[in-house]
Order: sequence, then structure tokens, then C-alpha cells
Amino acid sequence: MFGLGRLFYVILLLINSIAVLSQDRFLTRIGWSSVTVDNGFGAADSASVKNKMISLISAVRTLMRIPLIGINTSVIIYELILG
Amino acid sequence: MFQQSHRPPSSPPLHHPIPQHPIPPMRSPPPVQQQQPLNNNPYIPRSGASEYGEGAGGAGEGRYGNLFNDTTAQVGLQVGRNAMLAGQEYVEQNFGKYFSMSMPTLKSYFNVSNNYVLRKLFLILFPWRHKPWARQMKRSEVSGTIEGYRDPRDDINAPDMYIPVMAFTTYILLSSILAGIHGVFHPEILGYIASMAFAIVIFEILGLKLGCYLLSISNESQLMDLVAYSGYKFIGVILTMIAGSFIPGLLIKYIVFLYTFSAIAFFLLRSLKYVVLPESTVNAATSMTTTQRQRQRRIQFLFMYSFLCQFVLMWLLVKS
Repeated sequence: MFGLGRLFYVILLLINSIAVLSQDRFLTRIGWSSVTVDNGFGAADSASVKNKMISLISAVRTLMRIPLIGINTSVIIYELILG
Repeated sequence: MFQQSHRPPSSPPLHHPIPQHPIPPMRSPPPVQQQQPLNNNPYIPRSGASEYGEGAGGAGEGRYGNLFNDTTAQVGLQVGRNAMLAGQEYVEQNFGKYFSMSMPTLKSYFNVSNNYVLRKLFLILFPWRHKPWARQMKRSEVSGTIEGYRDPRDDINAPDMYIPVMAFTTYILLSSILAGIHGVFHPEILGYIASMAFAIVIFEILGLKLGCYLLSISNESQLMDLVAYSGYKFIGVILTMIAGSFIPGLLIKYIVFLYTFSAIAFFLLRSLKYVVLPESTVNAATSMTTTQRQRQRRIQFLFMYSFLCQFVLMWLLVKS
């Protein structure tokens, strides 16, 4: 059932799902690329929900890439041995 | 320099002038020049003269030890004390930095009185007629500037941590007791329920934080405020569980659940308004940037949180 361990798995899988999104193949096609955010004079638009999501995704992709390798590996080994 | 130039004429029989010049004049003559005036000069302070004489003579061992205690040891003690104080200060600073809330901040959440707890419990269960929902500011007595919010003891609208912590513990114990009444108690059930309740609270806080980030709500309030507000729902859960287990009939349980849920949702809706909609406070910078559309979004988010999210979480807590 739902406990702390399950919550950890949920968060880990969600972060994995964000980190696995491809910049070239997926995010640019639907216009969520973090590179081409250029609103011209609409400076107030940088606080919109979509832009926040874009910056969050790019932040997770850059920041969590290397830690995720280690965490995923340890979880896989744990599940193989004790799960 | 002066002595080096004087030395060669005064001591002509030296065979090796180069290595002897720098060393002997520095080592041997100065002590001789100092000791002689020390012993003879009447203007030198008495303590200094006696110290030198007794130290050199070795007579009067006790007085020598006393002197050592009085001056050098005291200086050493003072230096040590200063070092200790500096170290303590450093440790305290870093301790506060690591936990992002210093101890006084956390202490103010537990600064409650009996009167406050009773009134707050009544407010959570019957929030419909309560009128002023804004938290009172604490002003400094000297300059009158705002120093933050008042403690729960003085202000019923301030969030405390006492009621949530107690309700959390009571929830765990109560569900264990109910399991015991139904004959399915096992020691594991304590840890299991605690883990589940913790996970639900953490999930709620994470969702709230994510929503605050996405809606660019400048979060001036502490994280502990949100934890406290999310912990108030355990009171409704406890009441529902008691009603459902000691009064026969599912209908009463559902009625109690719906009533406590709507009361807590209303309470959260009114209490969290100052977090989500900072226009009510005097903050020119944020009210300039928040447009009408953003405000609408924030109200929708607050409504979703306090009604839908609370409903699901409370139902999960009641069922298990």
C-alpha cells in the first residue's frame, strides 16, 4: 500500500519520466523547447505556467541526469535482490 | 648596524670576522644589557623585578607558582574562554543555517496556550462564523516596524505545530486501537500507518510547492506554515473514525466525514488566502505583477487544493 517507500518510487519514476524527454525529437516539436523561448517585449509572459513548466523540465534534465543513474541502479539492484 | 661598525676596532684579534659578526652581537650582549638595569633600576615596577629575581634565583618556590597562576594562567584561561565562545557561536550559526529555520522560529510554533488550543479546535470544526481571517503582525515596541507574525498564543489565526503533531500521533494510535478492537492488531501496523500518514503529508506539501512554483507565487511564508495547515485535517479524520467505529451505521460516518471535510476545506480556503493571494498584504511589488488572469488561476488552484485534494487525502486516511 501507500507508504514512504511507495512515495519515493512515485517521485523517482516521475523524475525519470521528465528526464527521459528528448529535447530534439519531442520538446521542440510541441513548442516546449527551452532554447527558443523568445517573447520579445512580452516580459511579463515569462511567469506563465507554460514557461515555468519548460524551465522546470530543462532544470530537471540538466540537474538530475547524473544522480538519476546512481539512484536507478541502486533501486534496480535492490529490487532484484530483495524485491 | 651600529654595533657591526663598532666591533672591528674594539676586538682586533678576531680571525674570522664574517661569520662571527651577525651572530654574537645579537645573542650575548642584549640580555646582559637588560638584566643589569633591571636589577639596579629603581623605576622598574616591583613585580617585574621580583619576578626576574626569583625566577633566576630559584628561591621561594611557592611564590613563583602563585605568580604563574595569577598572570599567565589567567591570560591563558581568558584566551581559552574566548575560543570556546567563538566556537559555540560558529556551531550555532551553522546549525541554524543547515535546518533553514533557527530554533526560535520553530519554538514560536509551539508557543500555545490552553485557551488558544480550545479556540483553534473549535475554529477548525466550526469555521463558518469566524470573521477576521488575517494574521496579526508583530510590531517592535521601539520603532513600530513589522517584525513578522505574532505567535499562536496571541493570535488565533496563526498556524501552530502543536495541534497537528498531537493530531498526527493520535491518528496513529487511534487506528492501531481500532485495529486491536477488530482483532487484527500487529506491531507492524504502527509503523505502517505512520509511514502512510507521513507519505500523505509529504505528498501534499510537494504538490503545494509545485503549484506555488508553477503559479509563481512568491512564497514568503515558511515551509512550516504549510506543514501545519496540512496537519489540521487529522482532526477531522480522527472525529470521523471515532464516529464511524463507536456509533453503528455507515450513514453517520459519512455525515460526519462530509461535515468535517467541508469545515476543514473552508478553513484552509480562508487561511491559505494570505499565502496564495498576496494582494491582501501590503506588497506593492507582487501586486503590480499579478494580473487578473493570474489571480483567477490562483483562486482556482486554492479551490482545487482545499476541496478536491483534501477530499481525496482525508478519504485515504479514513479508510485505512
